[in-house]
Amino acid sequence: MKKKVTTFYDVMEARGISRRDFMKFCTTTAASMGLASSMVPQVVHAMENKPRIPILWIHGLECTCCSESFIRSAHPLASDVVLSMISLDYDDTLMAAAGHQAEAILDEIREEYKGNYIVAVEGNPPLNNDGMFCIVGGRSFLDQLIEVSKDALAVVAWGSCASNGCVQAAAPNPTQATPIKKVITDKPIINVPGCPPISEVMTGVLTYILTFGKLPELDRQGRPKMFYSQRIHDKCYRRPHFDAGQFVEKWDDEGARKGWCLYKMGCKGPTTYNACSSIGFNEGTSFPIKSGHGCIGCSEENFWDNGPFYERLTHVEGFGIESNADTIGMGVAAGTAAAIGVHAVASAGKQLTKKDAENT
Amino acid sequence: MSNEHEEKVLSIYVYEAPLRLWHWINALAITVLAVTGYLIGSPPEAMIGEASEHYRMGIIRFLHFGAGYVLLFGFIGRIYWAFAGNEHARELFVPKMYSILWWKELLTELKWYLFLTKEPHKYVGHNPLAQFAMFFIFLVGMVFMICTGFALYSEGAGAGTWSAVAFGWVRDIFPNSQTLHTWHHLGMWYLLTFVMAHVYVAIREDIMSRQSIVSTMISGHRLFKDDRP
Amino acid sequence: MSTTPNGFTLDNSGRRLVVDPVTRIEGHLRCEVNVDENGVIRNAVSSGTMWRGLEVILKGRDPRDAWAFTQRICGVCTGTHALTSVRAVENALGITIPKNANIIRNLMQLTLYAHDHLVHFYHLHALDWVDVVSALSADPRKTSELAQSISKWPKSSPGYFADLQARVKKFVESGQLGPFKNGYWGSPAYKLPPEANLMAVAHYLEALDFQKEIVKIHAVFGGKNPHPNWLVGGMACAINLDGDGANGAVNIERLALVGSIIDRTIEFIDQVYVPDLQAIASFYKDWTYGGGISSQNLLSYGDVPGVANDYSASSLLLPRGAIVGGDLSTIHEVDLTDMEQIKEHVTHSWYKYPNGEDGLHPWAGVTEPHFELGPKTVGDKKRIEALDEEGKYSYIKAPRWRGHAMEVGPLARYVIGYAQGNPEFKEPTDKLLRDLGLPLEALFTTLGRTAARGLEASWAAHKMRWCYDELIANLKAGDSATANPAKWEPETWPKECRGVGFTEAPRGALGHWIVVKDGKIDNYQAVVPTTWNASPRDAAGNIGAYEAALLNTPMADPEQPLEILRTLHSFDPCLACSTH
Ligand code: HEM
Ligand code: HEM
Ligand code: NFV
Ligand code: SF4
Ligand code: SF4
Ligand code: F3S
Ligand SMILES: [Mg+2]
Repeated sequence: MKKKVTTFYDVMEARGISRRDFMKFCTTTAASMGLASSMVPQVVHAMENKPRIPILWIHGLECTCCSESFIRSAHPLASDVVLSMISLDYDDTLMAAAGHQAEAILDEIREEYKGNYIVAVEGNPPLNNDGMFCIVGGRSFLDQLIEVSKDALAVVAWGSCASNGCVQAAAPNPTQATPIKKVITDKPIINVPGCPPISEVMTGVLTYILTFGKLPELDRQGRPKMFYSQRIHDKCYRRPHFDAGQFVEKWDDEGARKGWCLYKMGCKGPTTYNACSSIGFNEGTSFPIKSGHGCIGCSEENFWDNGPFYERLTHVEGFGIESNADTIGMGVAAGTAAAIGVHAVASAGKQLTKKDAENT
Repeated sequence: MSNEHEEKVLSIYVYEAPLRLWHWINALAITVLAVTGYLIGSPPEAMIGEASEHYRMGIIRFLHFGAGYVLLFGFIGRIYWAFAGNEHARELFVPKMYSILWWKELLTELKWYLFLTKEPHKYVGHNPLAQFAMFFIFLVGMVFMICTGFALYSEGAGAGTWSAVAFGWVRDIFPNSQTLHTWHHLGMWYLLTFVMAHVYVAIREDIMSRQSIVSTMISGHRLFKDDRP
Repeated sequence: MSTTPNGFTLDNSGRRLVVDPVTRIEGHLRCEVNVDENGVIRNAVSSGTMWRGLEVILKGRDPRDAWAFTQRICGVCTGTHALTSVRAVENALGITIPKNANIIRNLMQLTLYAHDHLVHFYHLHALDWVDVVSALSADPRKTSELAQSISKWPKSSPGYFADLQARVKKFVESGQLGPFKNGYWGSPAYKLPPEANLMAVAHYLEALDFQKEIVKIHAVFGGKNPHPNWLVGGMACAINLDGDGANGAVNIERLALVGSIIDRTIEFIDQVYVPDLQAIASFYKDWTYGGGISSQNLLSYGDVPGVANDYSASSLLLPRGAIVGGDLSTIHEVDLTDMEQIKEHVTHSWYKYPNGEDGLHPWAGVTEPHFELGPKTVGDKKRIEALDEEGKYSYIKAPRWRGHAMEVGPLARYVIGYAQGNPEFKEPTDKLLRDLGLPLEALFTTLGRTAARGLEASWAAHKMRWCYDELIANLKAGDSATANPAKWEPETWPKECRGVGFTEAPRGALGHWIVVKDGKIDNYQAVVPTTWNASPRDAAGNIGAYEAALLNTPMADPEQPLEILRTLHSFDPCLACSTH
């Protein structure tokens, strides 16, 4: 049985929002996505005609920071997203129902909206212990994930947990926590990494899908290009200090108070793809570097094992404590130099005996 | 190889000018790359004043990238020369690993370095041991540094630039950019180890072997110190 | 039938009900109860069903990085683990922090309280008391009268509520109920009149829009929220008021932003949250269930050090101590370094100890997972129908203080503060009870827990203002230091040392214990509020706070777990925290 389709505009109208305000909303939405004003009619059309798409938001091994980030969204407001843009039919963090009343919703949506719903995953499944390091409704989260994704239109992998494994996948990954892309291989997957991702990046991905009726263009790692194609460093406002060679050398030193570059305090901005230095967090209030702390690379695969966070050069496993590319390299170079030295002395000795032999 | 010289030739023109030119330009480029690369990883202490008055890190990186381009184009030229030049111009790229004799000579040369033989054989081009090191350490290291270097470069240059098109795939081999940096950095020490050994051996052989070495890479002529086989 | 050492009678003969997932919480909680023929809960089982292994992952890492890992224990109480972690590391390495860093940390911790409590009340807890569908039949004019009678909050006109009602109506009629789908609407357990329901729905939405403002304070000092940045030895946000390059640091514009958010937060909590709480409570006065062990055993470590680097009870603005056996006249001293006081047990938890020890102090703690189901489990290792609470049945360990199961959280803090006669906690509590016409015992209920949280949110908001003023005063006095880098380098550390850090997290007492060897983490153990409250049974058979609180509650309709949700939610469960 197909229910009456309610469009985004219906709901806006129901909320007592005037046509004029609705148009304004479409214009700002288009602008916030970097679209030319000529695209506004297209946005309006989409908003007027699209039904609210059901979203099933499921949780694996995670910390719920992604949900928390999501509700921080300012444009669009999280309340507008949840009540007017999508139909958040399942989300264990916010939903009224619990237990079997909650589980029933998953089955219902899967049937009723076959191929037309989106699965949003926060966290990831552990594979060790038959998946039973994360149990939902008495079964492994892995089972739930596979089942719910089967008839989905697409899967959105929220945050570093779902896209890359994040903290529970850091060495030695005791639960064998595994990113969604390695488990679900037959559906389009949109990876939205970050720990957490920026609120407006999260809602922006959804707004884009709803507005244009298609998935955003993804890069080779499955991330929307519109938010992940440049590094923090490429748009960092401290970049002039980097180029000048003006670095914070110690916490709270003169450079720190002047907002110099945090490279030598271990900033991973040069190796991190994310939109922090352009969009910012909490309605643009700040982002890590703006508040004096280096980027720890939280949207990058494996970033927990690329530490330490306060050193520029990554520690390399298996070479003893505190070894990085330079200490290892210098060790090898010193070894080589020593070997050369010994060899040179031996060669000199040989040369002399040879000369002696020739002379006698 | 050594038996080629029974006709008692004391001087042969082995390394043609382009090869020699490349060798020294390449050596210079690597020196600049290593110094600036090290400084990129561990920059010098900060300085005072307005950011706009300084461009120290910018200059370090500019020199690195400049030398990187020199390295790349030099290498392309060197590959061309492997086709255009004499037979010794090909030795670097195609060690005769299919030849049993080559392996035997490699062993002889190894024994010479381990002080197990009294006298080395004579070689017109590179001896097999040198070839082995140049192929497996130098050549592999060079290709690795060029690939990883330009992959890193493409991150800043941006999508669609030639370096992204040509070397973007390298970035996918590594889990993330930080790891790529680490490997590029380790590659530097790998190459530097080769250079240390290479320079030592070049000078040692110049003194102890039966042929000229260092001057050969300058003049191109191989001079033999004796006319025994 | 059996009686636990801590005095609860358990009877698992009745019908077994399973609630899994328990929703509107953080993480994965499973709850099973047995109800008798009258629908009264006679046995309760609380199980944490996820484990990530943070304590294992931390081994061998740089102690200065630990805050970032432990922060990811939870994104809801974001920051509190990080703060606890930097305190543990500073304690181990003997690092002191500048006064400003202490004030800023306090301000961030209080910001978390205000935010977390607000979101909990409206978005995680309210639907246990508020019937959204009933709001449709409210009279907007009467709703306006109700709203104006309890608060001067300006958004209270009849037109405002009428608009909102129309919006909710269309939403409900659309058939796509989203998060409200399959709710327990119309249940006789809901007691609010339609007008109160409509007012609460309006504030549900307002609070959703407002909460994002509060945490901008985290963004100012820590760069983002969730998961702001912290630093061993202070804070990374340098302060520069009027020097060269001041616009690259915390400056007057940033401070003014913080000041204005504090004002708005106080306003929202005092004019919306607390009045709503009081109004809702007044309709549920005779729902007196859910006390559990709260009238017996309560624990708080204390927090918000008024004096930098002084973590003794006299410096802490939030009370510290333990109450045992319901004796409010004796506040026991709590010592986190005493190997005999706090111990974690794993008899009924999915872990094992190497030598089968009964309980381990966290400095000697071990985290080795061991998933195994008791013989009476219904179902199997791939599909659990019902757990066997006589065997291992949860990923949550069972922490005990001197062998006692303890309740932690806002209620514990308020009762301990009350018992100490601290007017900051006693006066608002007395006032609320007086206004509602309730005795002190009313605190030891599900609603008491919820009320304490609301009072605490207000306390925290006002303390934010106090912190802010203190920060300004200290800056005026010419001190702008935010970090102490003296012992930053590992060369300055002892070869081997250990430390403990604690906070009062929104949900209760939180401790991190660290052992550092050769500059690396040798052992790291976190004992978390929800670990205390949601703990399974221990070897002696003592039940934890969740299980105890559920007992003896009558259910209006056992098919609808509304009462179970209510009581569990009153603890604000955080399962990611509890098992980490
Ligand atoms: C960054 C530094 C250097 C690098 C990467 C390097 C690399 C090479 C390579 C690849 C070859 C083989 C040339 C070919 O077959 O095309 C070569 C040959 C040679 N290099 Fe270098 N070189 C370096 C520095 C030097 C220095 C400083 C000296 C002199 C002390 C030197 C002396 C020689 C000599 C004598 C040969 C010829 C060996 C022979 O006669 O077989 N090189 N070098
Ligand atoms: C012998 C060859 C080379 C050596 C020894 C070398 C060495 C280094 C080192 C040590 C670093 C610092 C890595 C880190 O710790 O982050 C570096 C970075 C870099 N190198 Fe190279 N490199 C070589 C070739 C190249 C080439 C051919 C390119 C291509 C243009 C290149 C481009 C870069 C780039 C883009 C960076 C990163 C700069 C930054 O992050 O600001 N390198 N190199
Ligand atoms: N339990 C717990 Fe937490 C809190 N509050 C932390 O320590 O929630 Ni996520
Ligand atoms: S990505 Fe980070 S913030 Fe989000 S759930 Fe995972 S650990 Fe938490
Ligand atoms: S602070 Fe970090 S991201 Fe910004 S310029 Fe410096 S290194 Fe780059
Ligand atoms: S730490 Fe994360 S929040 Fe942005 S600046 Fe770095 S990616
Ligand atoms: Mg623990």
